[in-house]
Amino acid sequence: MNSETPVVEIERLVRRYGRRDAVDGLNLRVRPGRCYGFFGRNGAGKTTSIKCLLNLLRPTSGAVRVFGMDPAREEVAVKSRLAYVPDNVAFYPWMSVRDTLDYCASFRARWNQETERALLDQFRLDARQKTSHLSKGQRTQLALITAICPEPELLVLDEPTSGLDPIVRREFIRTVIGAYQDGDPGRRTVFVSTHLISEFEGLIDEFTIIDRGRDVLTLDADAARERYQKIYARFASDPGALDLAGAHVLRREGRDIEIFVNGNSADVMNRLKSRSPETLTSESLTLEEIFVATLEPGEAVA
Amino acid sequence: MLRLQLNFKSGKPVYLQVVDQVKAAAASGVIRPGEPLPSIRPLAEELRVNRNTVAKAYAELESQGIIETFAGKGCFVRANHSPFRKAIRIELLTERVDEAVVQAHHLQVGRAEFLRLAEDRFDAFQHQRDRTPR
Repeated sequence: MNSETPVVEIERLVRRYGRRDAVDGLNLRVRPGRCYGFFGRNGAGKTTSIKCLLNLLRPTSGAVRVFGMDPAREEVAVKSRLAYVPDNVAFYPWMSVRDTLDYCASFRARWNQETERALLDQFRLDARQKTSHLSKGQRTQLALITAICPEPELLVLDEPTSGLDPIVRREFIRTVIGAYQDGDPGRRTVFVSTHLISEFEGLIDEFTIIDRGRDVLTLDADAARERYQKIYARFASDPGALDLAGAHVLRREGRDIEIFVNGNSADVMNRLKSRSPETLTSESLTLEEIFVATLEPGEAVA
Repeated sequence: MLRLQLNFKSGKPVYLQVVDQVKAAAASGVIRPGEPLPSIRPLAEELRVNRNTVAKAYAELESQGIIETFAGKGCFVRANHSPFRKAIRIELLTERVDEAVVQAHHLQVGRAEFLRLAEDRFDAFQHQRDRTPR
């Protein structure tokens, strides 16, 4: 595999349940070393897509490749290089934390003992505890340890932080940045599906928004924040007619106006400037606001 | 101590925010030549940003001659950290001054007031530098 082979490649993926298309023509590709966000509302098709990547579901049509391979035909080769943390983590209830770690390690070619020790310590997990006695947060932490210790090239996270308290959520993200990404950054790829977008804001290099089984927007995170902006202007008096082509007016009251632009911020700013406003400011939308603006244009960042 | 603050609403790429803030810290004496910068992992963890973002910022700072990296030791602020010829440096600064002048116009801050503010800011940075114990 050369370094340009995408870690994940999804082409025109369709997955049908009965007569309903859960995934309906999804396309995306994740380059090595990226932290890729997969954003969608509940029921948008995120988990179904991920299950196709992991060969837990067969695609109805279309192609899925992981490390350039078909996960159905080369399941072992694919799975030995990735780790998966689902939204609802389950372990064998009769096993202790220690047993669970040993059990998971037995399937892996590599297991970083030092990382295991450091993370058990960081999460203050008692290795003797039975997994049936762990809280939801502790189960997720244990799942994260079992995902990171094998030092996989791809870490797949499906709604990893939903239902967790803020402390556990912060710690989770810190661990993905620190313990996971630190290893061999060029070959540590994260694919995270979530609707808790603001938490992952700093982590995401690139993202795809999925809606009704289709990719509706794919962008580099910095480029997205540059493209989607809110502009606010205040004039000395009601400016009357303004040339706002390409902008969406969010609010207009007398001499104040707030507008939303997608990709033509500089141009709209210049047109407003020519009318000599008293105040003229712009700010980027956050990824979460971009998500809302994409899926609910009417609700856009009011 | 270097304290960075990221703003996802500024429209500026996150790595460039790190670059600019480190440059400002070096210019104001918050970090001095020879002093180390935090290593990539703890800084990424603290800022809750992708490790690659910090790595990219440090690479950019290094290519601009602001910092230098010693294998196994980390990144340090360089003594004479402007490799540019004066004309190029002035040119780079002109862009920033232009932005400020335009902003001043919009905020109805006049020429004299603007120049006075610039003097004040020079004094403020000088003051900060003098106060920091050597």
